[in-house]
Order: sequence, then structure tokens, then C-alpha cells
Amino acid sequence: MPGFFEKNKKFIAILALFLLLFWLVTIQVKAGRFTLLEKPVLAVSGFFERIITGTYNGIAGLGRGYVFLVRTERENRRLTSELGALRLENQITNELLSENERLREALGFTKLNPPASVPAQVIGRDSSPSSSTVTVNKGSLAGIDRDLAVITPDGVVGRVQSVLPGTARVQLLTDPGSTIAVRVQRNREEGLLEGKLDRCALKYVSFYIDIQEGDLLVTSGLDGIYPKGLPVAKVTKVRKHEAMSFQTVYADPVVRLSRLEEVLVFKK
Amino acid sequence: MKPRMYLIVLLLLLPLQASLFGPLSLGGITPDLGLAVLYCIGLLTGPVEAALAGIAIGLTQDLGSASLIGFSGLTRGLVGLFAGFLGRRVLDIQSPSNIVFLFVFCLAESIFSALFLELTYGSVPLVGLFFGRMVPRAITTALVGYTLLRLITGKKILAWIRRRELQKEL
Repeated sequence: MPGFFEKNKKFIAILALFLLLFWLVTIQVKAGRFTLLEKPVLAVSGFFERIITGTYNGIAGLGRGYVFLVRTERENRRLTSELGALRLENQITNELLSENERLREALGFTKLNPPASVPAQVIGRDSSPSSSTVTVNKGSLAGIDRDLAVITPDGVVGRVQSVLPGTARVQLLTDPGSTIAVRVQRNREEGLLEGKLDRCALKYVSFYIDIQEGDLLVTSGLDGIYPKGLPVAKVTKVRKHEAMSFQTVYADPVVRLSRLEEVLVFKK
Repeated sequence: MKPRMYLIVLLLLLPLQASLFGPLSLGGITPDLGLAVLYCIGLLTGPVEAALAGIAIGLTQDLGSASLIGFSGLTRGLVGLFAGFLGRRVLDIQSPSNIVFLFVFCLAESIFSALFLELTYGSVPLVGLFFGRMVPRAITTALVGYTLLRLITGKKILAWIRRRELQKEL
């Protein structure tokens, strides 16, 4: 027997390491994810990511700026006509906004202050099979803090998970650790939207609640992270189980997370 | 491989994966550089060294993502261990059969991760993930890994490594 241990001591050490890692994982399932050494790793990887992304964008920018210049005229005409339509839409929205403000004031409601935002560029994304995060090129120096909402003009992207002076890591809404308080836009029913890697699922939805495919889910603002009313995901599948009192609702994010380039970080 | 080489691999792996492979992704599918590198290490070194390398690579990736710390360390350690055992049995290290082996390793790791998430959080759409994410990721990783293996084991590079080792021994 001692001969067996002596002969296989390296493999026994590896097995012990595996058991240690397994124990570490089970602890985190109960107590939540550890954040040790997170900042040094983000600092080192963020530094290299900025260099690599800068070089890549520089080269790609040359191609976009000169090689594809032929498309500029057509693009310019399209954008000019789009700008005209958006100006008109903006005037109508401003009118509605001021009317809304007057009515809120008349009813004695508190004044709505739209949150300030910081634009940031995505400089990296993780490839882990069990998580979904991206790194952005702005950090605490730009006023970014933990648990701030990250969005694009299309809708919610996720929340800030960890911050360094010049970089921040954003947990996408499809990450298994992400939870967002949402509301069905059509009937105002509430629920918790959880990340499921390539899509999301609504948690704790009663069997009797009316949810249909195509319903838009918007933030309810109840989690204290995301401002109320931002589009989050569209319901793609509703599975009702007769034996259970809940139903499974799957939803796809409204933002194309695989094509993220620029985002806005909402300041509180 | 020398510890200095491992340090360089660990330092560059996350940023290269995040910023170089990210923009090159097709429909959100990016090859896993960490797994591809680990497979090459497994074939070229041995089970013990590859398992340790896998744990180190996995832990670095855990710290650089939102996954539970130690989870990728565990799965990558296992991949390294099996790749190391495979390396002892493979006669032709440049054989295209490595594409199939790496595909299987990558798919097995993804299935293991998804099952773990299903047990922990529930409601993971396993079938959709399998065809929409796991299989395409395994294919791209296998192709990148095989290309990397061909580059590393190219005659000139191998000859250069052997020459250096001989010079040191002398």
C-alpha cells in the first residue's frame, strides 16, 4: 500500500487539488461568488486588452475610413433623411414629456430626473462556458461604480460587476448570476429575469399569469439597479406545466449582446 | 515547459481571448483559446503537468469572468489530465484526428458546465444551448486548436526547441 502512494503521489496530489476546487465551488453556490484577486486580474487583462483592442481598431479603422469610402455618400443620404424623421419624433416626445411633467406637478408627484450616463467602449469579452461578461474601457475615474446599470439605445445590457480606475467588467443579463426585476409591458405583471447563458428565463411566474410569446419585458425598477421602463427582453417561449404552480418563460435579450461595441453606463 | 513560458501564457491568454477573438466571433460564437492551448500542452507534456496547467488556466479565466471561482479550474484541470493521457498514446502529434479529440473535450466541458448550471440555478435550455452554442463553439475551438498545434509542432519550431535544450545540456 505505501508503495502505491509513493508511485502515484503526483496523481494523488492532483486529485486532492480537484477535491479542493470542488469544495471551493460548493461553498460559493451557497455563499455567493468570492471576489478575491478579481481586481489584479482585471488590471492585468484590462491593460493588455486596451493595447490589443486599440491596435485592432486602428487597423480596422483604416479599412473602414478609406477602403469603404465608396459607401459614404449613400450612407450620408440615408442618415440625413433618418435625422429629419428623428427630429420630428424628438419634438413630439419633448411635447409629451413637458405635458407629463406638468401633470405630475399638478398631481403632486416627485419630479423625474433622467440619470446621467457615461459612454464606454467594449474592449473584451470572456469565453467561459459558464458565464457572460464583457470588459469596458471606462472605470472609476469616469465615475463608474459597482452595480450601475449598463444599456444601449436598444435596451438593457447588464450591470457593472467590478471596477478599476480605467476599466470595468460588466455582467451581461444572460450571465447565470444575473437577476433583473422586470414587468410585462402589456399587462404590468412582475417577475425576476435570470440569465441562462444564451437567453433568459422568468422566475416565479404563477401558472395563472397571462404571458404570451412576443411580450416585451421592461425593467420594473424594484431591484434598485435598473431605472424603470427600459426594454430588457422579448418572450420567445412559454411552457405551462399542469402539475406545477409555476410556468417556465424563456426570453431573448432585445440587445444583440454578441455585437456589442459601445454602451452607456447609468450613473446613480 | 518552463515556468516562465506558463507565466507568459497566463498573462496573455485572457486579453488575447477577450479582445482579439471577441471581434472575430460569428453569431456570438468564439473559439476557446484557453482550451486549445491546454490541449496542446497536454499532448506535448504529460497528464500531471497538463492538469496543473489546466487548473492555472481555468482559475485565471474564472477570475477574469463572472463564473464561480474554481469551476473552470476544475473542468480545465480534468481536460488537461485527459489530454495528457492522450498525448502518451498519440503516435502522430500532427494528425487531423486531434480535431475530433479536441471537439470531444470542448463539448464534454460545455455539457458538464451546463449540467452544473442546471443543477445549481435550474431552467437552463439544454437542447437550445447544445445546438446553438456548445457544438459551434466546439467546432471552432477544435479548428483553432489544431492550427495552433500545427504551428507549435512545425518542424522548424520543434527543431529550434530541441537545439536550445541540447545547447543547455552541453
